[in-house]
Amino acid sequence: MSTARPPMTAGTLLRAYVGSQPAAVAVMAGLLVFSIGLEIAEPRIAAHFIESVQLGRAESTLVGIAAVFLAVAVTRQAARIVSAYASERVSWIATNAAREDLTAHVLSLDLTFHESRPPGELIERIDGDVNQVAEFFSSLILHIAGNVLLVLGILIALATLDWRVGLTFTAVTILSYLALSRIAGIAGLKWEDDREQSARFFGYVGEATLATEDLRSSGATGYAMARFHRHLRAWLPVKVRAEGWGSAIWVVLSIAFTAGTAIAFGYGGVFYRDGVVSLSGVYLIVAYAAMLNTPMEVLRHQVQTLQQAMAATRRIAELFAHRSSLADGTATIPSGPLSVRFDQVSFGYGPDNESADGMVMREVSFDVPAGTTLGLVGRTGAGKTTIASLLFRLYDAGRGRVLVGGVDVREAALASLRSRIGFVPQDVQIFDATLRENLTFFDERADDRRLLEILDVLELRPWLEGLPDGLSSRISPGTLSAGQAQLIALARVFLTDPGLVVLDEPSSRLDPVTEAQVERALDRMLAGRTAIVIAHRLDTIRRTDQVIVLDTGAIAERGATAGLLADPGSRLARLYQVGKVLT
Amino acid sequence: MNGPAEPSPLGFLWRLITYSPWRYLLAASAWAVFHLWPLLPGVLGKLLFDVLEGRAPAGITVWTVVAVAVGAGLARCVAIVGATVAWAGWYLRARGLIQRNLLALVFRKPGAQPLPAAAGENISTLRDDSDAIAMMGGWGFDMMSGLIFAGGGLAILLSVDVQVTLVVMAPLAVVLVLAQLARARAYRIRVRSRAATAQVTGTIQEIVSATRAIKAAGREREVVARLRRDNEARKTAMIRDKVQSLAIDSVFNSTASIGSGLILLLAAGRMRSGEFTTGDFVLFSTYLMQVADYTSFMGYLVRTYQQARVSFVRAAAMLPGTPSRTLVEHHPLHLREDASLTTVPPEPEPLRELEARSLTHVFPGSGRGVREASFTLRPGTVTVVTGPVGSGKTTLLRTVLGLYAPQDGDIRWNGERVDAPGDFMVPPRVAYTPQNPALLSGTIRENVLLGLPDDGRVERAAALAVLGPDLERLGGGLDTEIGVRGVRLSGGQAQRTAAARMFARDSALLVMDDLSSALDVETEQELWRRIFATSATCLAVSHRPALLERADQVLLLKDGRIVAAGPLAELLRTSPEMRTHYRPAPPTRSRQCHV
Repeated sequence: MSTARPPMTAGTLLRAYVGSQPAAVAVMAGLLVFSIGLEIAEPRIAAHFIESVQLGRAESTLVGIAAVFLAVAVTRQAARIVSAYASERVSWIATNAAREDLTAHVLSLDLTFHESRPPGELIERIDGDVNQVAEFFSSLILHIAGNVLLVLGILIALATLDWRVGLTFTAVTILSYLALSRIAGIAGLKWEDDREQSARFFGYVGEATLATEDLRSSGATGYAMARFHRHLRAWLPVKVRAEGWGSAIWVVLSIAFTAGTAIAFGYGGVFYRDGVVSLSGVYLIVAYAAMLNTPMEVLRHQVQTLQQAMAATRRIAELFAHRSSLADGTATIPSGPLSVRFDQVSFGYGPDNESADGMVMREVSFDVPAGTTLGLVGRTGAGKTTIASLLFRLYDAGRGRVLVGGVDVREAALASLRSRIGFVPQDVQIFDATLRENLTFFDERADDRRLLEILDVLELRPWLEGLPDGLSSRISPGTLSAGQAQLIALARVFLTDPGLVVLDEPSSRLDPVTEAQVERALDRMLAGRTAIVIAHRLDTIRRTDQVIVLDTGAIAERGATAGLLADPGSRLARLYQVGKVLT
Repeated sequence: MNGPAEPSPLGFLWRLITYSPWRYLLAASAWAVFHLWPLLPGVLGKLLFDVLEGRAPAGITVWTVVAVAVGAGLARCVAIVGATVAWAGWYLRARGLIQRNLLALVFRKPGAQPLPAAAGENISTLRDDSDAIAMMGGWGFDMMSGLIFAGGGLAILLSVDVQVTLVVMAPLAVVLVLAQLARARAYRIRVRSRAATAQVTGTIQEIVSATRAIKAAGREREVVARLRRDNEARKTAMIRDKVQSLAIDSVFNSTASIGSGLILLLAAGRMRSGEFTTGDFVLFSTYLMQVADYTSFMGYLVRTYQQARVSFVRAAAMLPGTPSRTLVEHHPLHLREDASLTTVPPEPEPLRELEARSLTHVFPGSGRGVREASFTLRPGTVTVVTGPVGSGKTTLLRTVLGLYAPQDGDIRWNGERVDAPGDFMVPPRVAYTPQNPALLSGTIRENVLLGLPDDGRVERAAALAVLGPDLERLGGGLDTEIGVRGVRLSGGQAQRTAAARMFARDSALLVMDDLSSALDVETEQELWRRIFATSATCLAVSHRPALLERADQVLLLKDGRIVAAGPLAELLRTSPEMRTHYRPAPPTRSRQCHV
């Protein structure tokens, strides 16, 4: 919500979220460079010590140098910690903002988007991928930049000792880095093969353990074991190959280390003999050569992480690029009870919303005068829920118009439309949060007095009294009965005081006491409001003024409820006769 | 090893090692070279400076040092490759052996009916615990090398300078061990940041799964605000957590520098006098760089051992009543050539009479099950088990099949008592179609055969099971791939594939658990018509009136007991329960009545 134009590439993503904290980034970078400088200075101080020993300086001088060395070592660690802290902060602030923006964005997308994606995938995008991007921030800034700087610093330090040494080590570093990333790339592919075999193997083991009854009673356990052996046999060479290539990374590092050591020893020995460098110079060459090893391995690893993070960034940018197909309108829905009108409405899911086949609703027209109640009856898939969804404008109709309070929903402001319609779904969504949050749907403006009044109306006061922290008690989906969840959904509707209520009645039965409680609450709720009720029970149907029987997306019958029930030839009466209203 | 409940990891490990001893030995020695190698650079560094300062033994030059470094480096490369390949080979075999034994046990378990939750646990044990146990193999030699490394390193340092070793290295090692412990504690403190993270994930999950409700209520802004609060809490917890572990890490990172500084401080005087040489300093500072790695490594080994212990216990819990060493029993793994999938079909065994005498299997806890069920099946007859939901129909079939161990009573096949019904009541004597059959990935043909020779029996069985029209629609016919657990088939297709699997086994007795649950009336009637045409002996659970009427014998179950047995007409006369059960005619309604 904070960004008007969503970030589309890794670059804009970085700028949007990290660019907003320039001071923290500067502190982090400054400390990082400082600590690297100290790290490179350490061998110099040690070399200075060795030189002083050679020159026979006083013991107090030597102790002084040693003390400086220690101080530098401690300061460096402190700088690293502070810099890491700064980077964590930058990273968390940035990624939290990204998480919130992504969530808001995803919520703004229409339901067609949500239906095409399982919730698990969206969680993976919003949390999993953003976590990877957090890695990206910290690894890019701390590790990669830090280690590249460190390697450069060491190479420069070596070059200042002697250009030939500097050049040789630069060549060794570049060669080993290239070899490392090459081999890591191949090893990555081999590991993918390994994972695939592993997935197949465990996929088989999983289904075989689930089929125990079948396999035993078919006398086929021998066959099942044989298939297990085949899977294991197929996996073996792939695994060995993957491990082999994985070890090649160590081999390259080992060769690089050996080459570095041999070169350092060789140059050191020859230069010392020829008087080009002093003993402390030899120490510096050997010490720097040893220091080159660690950052190389870290760099290789980090570059891999970086690639994964880049892929995650791309996926996030892709998600941001999705636009809702519903354009927001501007008209305001009037106050008071709202009339509803469906005018030749057709609807189909998917991209070809307009084509004839795959239509879930065809040419549906009806009127609900303000303040009256309409009952919707029909089997699963008859289109009852679609009618509710079109009212809220969770989708747009393919053809025809939906009017609420005389306003075409496409011209209405979404916020105004949805705040004037109350929804009691069949499966009430209870959040793992406080009772207050569950009642207000996280609206912090509602005051407790009003909440208590509503709980009184719903006869939930005794229940509330039994909760440990009153309205602040934490409730979770599993702890409420279906009836209580239903009552909470009704409370939500009372709280927003809508002009139209859409009630999707639960098909399962409640216990008699709660059922009576819900009945009384419904009487209060429906008074003075327009209501559309997706009904499953005869008692509820009796409450309605008119009824529409839906069948495969079209109106099969409509009329005044009393009239239809009285006419033995009507579909409604027949449904009632067979007791099949309960679908 | 043959001890009581607590299995000994080391005993298990030994059995695993001896499964492929040479590979293990090769891996162990190569890894030992790898682990001990870091002792060398320090010594070489010292030697170089000794040579330069003229302290080295005669005959050793700079080039000797370089040559040793190169030779040792190459030797290390060879060791790495040898170690990984040998290790991978051993590890996959050891783990494969554990998995094989676990799977074989799952199949042999009495009451071979893993509940869905337990099945998930089985898989996790097969996957993760077998892994942790096999990883223990590496633990053995890693631990050994680690100890030798520490001892060797300490001996070298002591031989160079006792004072510096005791005053600098020993305290540092203690600090590092303490830091290592703190790391383990920090792991525990991490619980808080984990909880904060779980809260954020939970909130996101709630939001994306309640999108419809949130949008309908127009509360997008409010739920994002809630996410923001959770995010804030997570940020604080995570930063605290990270900084804490960074602080501990920095103890490790700084060992080399601070240790070197301390050596300089301590040895300043003696370096002037030449007692402590530049070479000695190089040796000490090189080793200092490894101490941190080494303590982390040992910490890792301790963790591995603990994990493996937990895994042993979990794996042993999977096999109650079986000696836990069964887990590491040696068996061929068929890695050289593919294990043969085809089995020779056993000779058919005609049924003269099957008798069940007061069979009892009651589930502990719920008290449901079957009690004292007695009945007799004669060849060529159809027996239908019926009764309300929860009356024990499926349990009765499973107990007859030996999938549940009978707690009392027995089964007699042609007059002889069956000792182990689970192993005896299988093809070619009995074949079975469960109510919710489980299929394996592969083709329909493979699922019907399950190892039997492909000699035309699949086609016959498929025809008998009324699969013809479906095979045409599926495209690939009998060779259609049906996906993992047969997901590409509809419920009815899966049930009839299982029926074909039963027919293909040419068994004397066919047992079927409610074929109507996934079949429409017409298909089911056709299926029964074809079964009757073969004059097979059948024992089936069903509610279909047509089948009850056709049955030679109806067994009416109520609360786990057979309350009436005989032809339907007779039962309708004599049994009031049968009348209430049979009356509400249409089968679909009658099922609903009992819910």
